[in-house]
Amino acid sequence: MVEKRIVGTETPRLDGVAKVTGAQMYSSDVHLPNMMCGVIMRSPHPHAKIISIDTSAAEAMGAICLTRDDVSTYMYNERLVSVPSATYRDRTLLPIERVRHVGEPVMAVAHETEELAYKAMQLVKVEYEVLPFVLDPEEAMKDGAPQLYDEIWYGLEKGKVHNNKGVIRNVEEGNVDEAFAAPGVKVYESDFTLNRIYHNQLETKTAVCAMQPDGSIDVYSTTQSIHGSRIIISKLLGLPFCKVNVKKMAIGGGFGSSIQINTVTPICAALAQKAKRPVRIASSREEDFYSHHKYPTKFHLRLGVDPEGTLVGGHVTALVDFGAHQIQPLAYMGCVSGWFADMYKYNNNIRFEGTAVYTNKTPCCAMQGYGNPQINFCVESLVDEICNDNGWDVVDFKLKNYRGVGDEFWGQGPTIRSIIKSCGVEQSLVEGREKFKFNERTPYTEKSGRFRTGTGLARGFHCSGTGGPSEGEVIDFSSCMIKINEDGSIDVLTPLMDHGGGTWDAVAKIAADTLCVPLDMVGLSPAETRSTGFDVATHATRGIYCGGAAVYHVAKKVKEKLLEVAGRIMLENPSDLEVVRDDELGQAVVRTKGYHRKSMTAGEIADHARIFSWGTIAYTDSYRQKNCPPCFVTHFVEVEVDTETGEVKTPRVLMYADCGTCVNPQLLEGQLVGSYNRGIGYALYEDLPHDPKTGELACKGLLVNYKTPTSYEMPSIANTKVEVCDTYEPTGPFGAKGIGEAALASVSAAVGNAIYNAIGIRFTELPILPEKVLAAIKEKEGK
Amino acid sequence: MNTRIIPKEYNYTAPQTLAEALDILKQKNVRVLAGGTDLIVRLKMGSEEAMETMLDIKRIPELKGIAYCEKGAHIGATTALADIEENAEIIKNYPALRDALVAMAAIAVRHMGTIGGNFVNASPVADTAGPVMVYGGQVHLKGPEGERVIPADEFFVGPGKSQLKEGELLTAITLPVQPADSGAAFFKKTRVKPDISKISTTVYVERDGETITNCRIAMGAVAAKPITLPEIAKEAIGKKASKALFAEMAAKVADTIKPIDDIRSTAEYRKAVANVMVAEAFEVAWKRAGGAL
Ligand SMILES: Cc1cc2nc3c(=O)[nH]c(=O)nc-3n(C[C@H](O)[C@H](O)[C@H](O)COP(=O)(O)OP(=O)(O)OC[C@H]3O[C@@H](n4cnc5c(N)ncnc54)[C@H](O)[C@@H]3O)c2cc1C
Repeated sequence: MVEKRIVGTETPRLDGVAKVTGAQMYSSDVHLPNMMCGVIMRSPHPHAKIISIDTSAAEAMGAICLTRDDVSTYMYNERLVSVPSATYRDRTLLPIERVRHVGEPVMAVAHETEELAYKAMQLVKVEYEVLPFVLDPEEAMKDGAPQLYDEIWYGLEKGKVHNNKGVIRNVEEGNVDEAFAAPGVKVYESDFTLNRIYHNQLETKTAVCAMQPDGSIDVYSTTQSIHGSRIIISKLLGLPFCKVNVKKMAIGGGFGSSIQINTVTPICAALAQKAKRPVRIASSREEDFYSHHKYPTKFHLRLGVDPEGTLVGGHVTALVDFGAHQIQPLAYMGCVSGWFADMYKYNNNIRFEGTAVYTNKTPCCAMQGYGNPQINFCVESLVDEICNDNGWDVVDFKLKNYRGVGDEFWGQGPTIRSIIKSCGVEQSLVEGREKFKFNERTPYTEKSGRFRTGTGLARGFHCSGTGGPSEGEVIDFSSCMIKINEDGSIDVLTPLMDHGGGTWDAVAKIAADTLCVPLDMVGLSPAETRSTGFDVATHATRGIYCGGAAVYHVAKKVKEKLLEVAGRIMLENPSDLEVVRDDELGQAVVRTKGYHRKSMTAGEIADHARIFSWGTIAYTDSYRQKNCPPCFVTHFVEVEVDTETGEVKTPRVLMYADCGTCVNPQLLEGQLVGSYNRGIGYALYEDLPHDPKTGELACKGLLVNYKTPTSYEMPSIANTKVEVCDTYEPTGPFGAKGIGEAALASVSAAVGNAIYNAIGIRFTELPILPEKVLAAIKEKEGK
Repeated sequence: MNTRIIPKEYNYTAPQTLAEALDILKQKNVRVLAGGTDLIVRLKMGSEEAMETMLDIKRIPELKGIAYCEKGAHIGATTALADIEENAEIIKNYPALRDALVAMAAIAVRHMGTIGGNFVNASPVADTAGPVMVYGGQVHLKGPEGERVIPADEFFVGPGKSQLKEGELLTAITLPVQPADSGAAFFKKTRVKPDISKISTTVYVERDGETITNCRIAMGAVAAKPITLPEIAKEAIGKKASKALFAEMAAKVADTIKPIDDIRSTAEYRKAVANVMVAEAFEVAWKRAGGAL
């Protein structure tokens, strides 16, 4: 009668039917009685002073207009996962004095329909004084360059900005100089340029905001954190938290773009407040294109290696071009230093020197990996180079130098450290090299002909959340409430967001297994900020490990209560009772241990408690994870390079995922395969150049101009393999840790290394477009 | 710009007959709607400010469908690209056209878009242009003054401009029956598979034994309109087919074309790959003509 665990079994997605039939409600599906539609006017200039805004003609046609005169001057940062002292703030709800990038919101208009609002917006006259602008981060740091800011809030203090340097962050451990100077140590170095790309999540940023008769506001929005959104709206609208009710909605993907509140949401809230009617603003794709990008970064990397093949030190210099507003480049650089430190042991000699610079471009924010894919490309490319140069086997080299069980792991930069307790690196590398026939590869010097294949290897990882033994810069905890209904089914109330990766399925499974009920006896309650305790955000690959842990923690407490009530009814000591799932009865059964003389279903027990007015079997609490386990990945990639056209295909890939216990097997595979697609997009296709004359995106925010790989660019299904490592994370719910962002970390480095193996050319700049490959081949051949 | 909405009011009309449609076309500022995959995009981008009436021609039966007879193929203007690509006669007799069609856009766009639209839109990258031109195709136009037939390779004038006059509709594209021992092939380069061409090429050859007896070459995305290169093509005529000859031809094409840098690629790259693609197209065309190498 003891049934198989649900965690780890393949189950249909809970929201699958709703999503494939279109019944799933997203923010843009919310239509409220008397609702208006809003549109945002966006800056055509990369840098300009706003002299005046004349809304009279728009108002004459019945529009409600929101301008800088209507809004708070409170400076905020869209992203709210760091502690206040580590949150740099530089923007207001609408720009008060000037606009700093093309596409920056200037003002907003609401009318009965979107078309009318748009027409009205075209009648609004904005007078600008166009200012000089700067797009290049190196130019921006020079004396005399256009200055984006005089002052911003550096955490709790206001301070000047010098030469557009928004953040400087240095991290040092051990002594790199000494390590590099030691006898026999060889230092390898290279520059790397990582591209600016766009998240391209399916759902464009949307908000529906509705003032309520009691003066409160309901908010339906695209966000990865309802509580983060509430705090910001509350500050900007001057309402107490209890009057800002942000609803948990399904969102159509995020890739990190909605960890922050998104500028659309507070604008919509303020517009609704002014209109005294519900207002909906749904960004168009091209508006979304101007809202957020992945952090482009230029790196200089130095790695020291001794004659035995031990990395003895690493030194990174990073120049981050983060655009016109800070969505936490401070945290980004901290994380990059951590991702760097976590790759290899380097005898603990690490130096990171980061400068993040304001430019008149779209602000950058987290995008799957928060700097991890960026620095991974550099480290794994240079490690490949080191191995090639010395004739060392890359797998052996990695096995010798990686950080694994017992080593320290920086989960979110230097302030969040814990000890690694589970690790699938060995299995991935040792098993993978056989499976992929990686050990049979030949060097590029033995290849000829027009089409040349090569194989490449890179390994990566990400954190699982941002918890840790002591509190660092990043806030991390989640909350949950669970009750057992009087028929034995359970209701789970959690503020945790799911951006499509299956977080909700995972928490339902965790609750089901802890309370021993079948999955269809678990209800995920609609949740909003008023009804739930705090959760920081679904970011940092923390959904299952941190959010799921809160559910696990609360479910265990509920189980204790269930046993207590059962003991009272059965006249048994609760410690002599156990709970098991009975699929025939369709619910949990409480019975005496060993010889099951007595048993009752959870429904009978809960109903008994109702009839006797004992109360509901329920529990609510918050929970913080005291660890931050890395989830590891490894990519073995085969490429085929057309040496006459420079085109690169990846006909074969093998990916290893170490997520501890795998909660959702099919979704895990989907995450790896989907991330591979995004990874080759980053490595081979995507880029966001700007028009140097206008400051506009060259693609103008149009998808027809910005190409992401499709299924045609993927290896065949048969040649796309995902293997799951056999690991168990002792601190995770049912042994689980994360996988989300890790899945992307090492794709581009593996592709780059494979290209090197095919044609002997090392690319240090992404994307590796056919144009660049062909030019490099011609240069190499001396043509 | 807001590509989700069309912030403009206009009349929409969908007549059932060609006569009615031509009548409506006499009005001012009428825009013809076929599949809409170009027109609607422009409307959303705000570049069709003048439009007052949208004339939907998809309900006119005589403009739609493919017929094949002893004279060749007749493709109605509003035939969806996907329907052409699936047509057995097209696949058999005009494989280069099929190459071009399956290389166009994504399947959803091909189900909406039409061949008439691809022609009248007159983009330098129009993918059906090359094959239709090298197969000796003709463009049929109808207006108040009656019908005109124009060789496809004279139809295009410049970006967005063609021989179509105000008040006229493109009614059909016709392709003559292809001689025995002839063949053609289309190649294009894109960033990802479903995409607008960085560059495209179509090569047509006729064969007598080992000798090329006729040749046509068309290029897309290298000039202000889809072009043919009759002067270069002529040089292949009378020569024995060989890989070396094809490479020579390709080099000549690459030397002649004057592509530009844009969001999709660079002039330099376009020239470099023309050198490769044209030779490949020659090879496939030659094989399709029954030739061996
Ligand atoms: C995502 C995307 C990808 C695309 N990829 C490609 C590609 O790879 N290759 C390519 O060549 N094109 C591509 N296109 C462009 C477009 O799909 C094609 O040009 C298509 O053939 C246009 O046909 P349509 O019926 O949709 O034209 P419509 O938009 O209906 O019309 C286009 C123009 O022609 C006029 N017109 C249409 N039919 C007639 C007629 N019978 N008589 C007179 N005037 C007429 C219209 O008034 C309009 O000016 C792409 C478009 C999109 C949106």
